[in-house]
Amino acid sequence: MGKKVLIIDDSSTMRKIVTRSLRQAGLDFDTILEAGDGQEALQLLAKESVDIILSDINMPNMDGIEFLRQKSANAAIKSIPVVMITTEAGADILAEAKSLGAKGSIKKPFTPEQVSEVLGGLM
Amino acid sequence: MSWETHIADATVEIFSTMLMMEVSSQPPLTERIKSHQDSVTGMVGMAGLYKGMLAIHAPSQVAMTITGNFLGLEVDSVNDDVKDAMGELANMLAGSIKAKLSDNSKDIQLSIPSAVCGDSYSLDYQPQQGSSMVPFESAGGRFLVELQLEQQT
Repeated sequence: MGKKVLIIDDSSTMRKIVTRSLRQAGLDFDTILEAGDGQEALQLLAKESVDIILSDINMPNMDGIEFLRQKSANAAIKSIPVVMITTEAGADILAEAKSLGAKGSIKKPFTPEQVSEVLGGLM
Repeated sequence: MSWETHIADATVEIFSTMLMMEVSSQPPLTERIKSHQDSVTGMVGMAGLYKGMLAIHAPSQVAMTITGNFLGLEVDSVNDDVKDAMGELANMLAGSIKAKLSDNSKDIQLSIPSAVCGDSYSLDYQPQQGSSMVPFESAGGRFLVELQLEQQT
């Protein structure tokens, strides 16, 4: 069965850019799902299984840190790897994300090569 | 390093990395432009140790070209994609400036990006000590990046 990725970002532009970067990086996902914030992502994950999640941090309704917190408390989805894609490059916030289970981070702006480098080790 | 240099470096990096567009900074404006005609403005507010805002202002045609490069498609009107792309550009620029202001992410909070557009509008903001407006030239035309910043005591 093909691999599925979930992209969480409140910017539709950024979701399209991440999708394009995944393809340019040669990462083979059969299905790319999208959510506009953490809350929408949790609702989607209640119905769909995915192999990896790429999430922004600064989002309305439910930000990326709260999403990680709720995901890590949910046994059904806690093991899905998450990579943060964010303008928030502070060591403290990335450390908080890591403590909540994030497996890596990609700073905006990014190249497809950087996406490939971070995701390659998790696929 | 001056704020104008930070703005110039961040803008050139974002445009070359994410939009494959070469842009060049021009000398900062000595007087703030607050009225914009047939334009789109993407902006992000800052709060915490510093308060202020970062905005990118572009004539509609330039904003459409920028969005087209961003998304890799033809854009022929100021639609939701254009407003979202301009907001996201402001978000990335603000993130870069924020990283220069403090190592601690929680010292400064960024708002969710927003955008305004129209035939004629003005943005009122009391110029602060850290006020900068830097013009950029691109193949698509000229645009402005504005930073208004005030350190809180």
